[in-house]
Amino acid sequence: MTQIARSTPRRLDAFTLASEPGNERLALARVAGTVQGLGLSQARLERLKTAVAEATMNAIEHGNGNRPEIPVEVEVTQNGEEIVVAISDQGGENNAGSGPGEGTRDGRGDGQGDDAGGHEEPDLARKLDGEQSPRGWGLFLIRNMVDAMHVTTDGQRHTIWLAMRTGGAAHDERM
Amino acid sequence: MTSACEAATRVLPGAAVIELSGEVDGSAATVLTAAYEQAVSADHDLGTVVLDFAAVDYINSTGIALIVSVLARARAERRKVVASGLSPHYREIFDITRLSDFIELFPDLDRAVSQLTPPAA
Repeated sequence: MTQIARSTPRRLDAFTLASEPGNERLALARVAGTVQGLGLSQARLERLKTAVAEATMNAIEHGNGNRPEIPVEVEVTQNGEEIVVAISDQGGENNAGSGPGEGTRDGRGDGQGDDAGGHEEPDLARKLDGEQSPRGWGLFLIRNMVDAMHVTTDGQRHTIWLAMRTGGAAHDERM
Repeated sequence: MTSACEAATRVLPGAAVIELSGEVDGSAATVLTAAYEQAVSADHDLGTVVLDFAAVDYINSTGIALIVSVLARARAERRKVVASGLSPHYREIFDITRLSDFIELFPDLDRAVSQLTPPAA
């Protein structure tokens, strides 16, 4: 997977959200407004919006345990042709060293969030046969929506980084 | 949790249509389940359930899980599920998740209904 470059990024926006279910919609809308006009096609903007919503929902529910007093932090930066959205919670070391699809929040859900279904790769046929929970799509969607993602943990601070190129990505258009 | 999802169900010859609107997320579970129950209770031999997403503006991963649950139940009851009115983005998500391998997709409800119900006498 592509590494996310972070040299001399330009901060476009930074904000916090209360950890309340549904607030992922606020993050989605605000990030979409921030990156509008930066060259993302409509299809890629929609993908970024879905990734931001899923990552924020994960941070609210599994990182901060739906505790409104603990904010989810969102930062949007641009580095050349790359837009990076960083979404941080205080979920800490439960996710230490986790990367896409491994050791993630999938296994620590409380039944509320979608990633409560175990950290197996979602397999629809197995879900339909009752061999996997119907849930567990969150990280799968994120990985498939953005050009790159990675996860860092610093003490209690857990951050998921989502990167999307603004230009030269026409080959990646799937629609 | 208050749902921002609404569902209107109507039963046609051979198929039932569930027209969804708003947001298909975790809070839609009760609405979607009730709509499915209403659809199949009207005709126990119902062969097809159409989920129309034309008025849906948001589907998240928990909403995908709900759709998987409805599909699993329908398959267990030997019913077919089809979908109509998905935006290009959510059509892509149905492809990525492989839902489109199990749910036939129609561009709009009219085309779904015209192919699934017998022509009027």
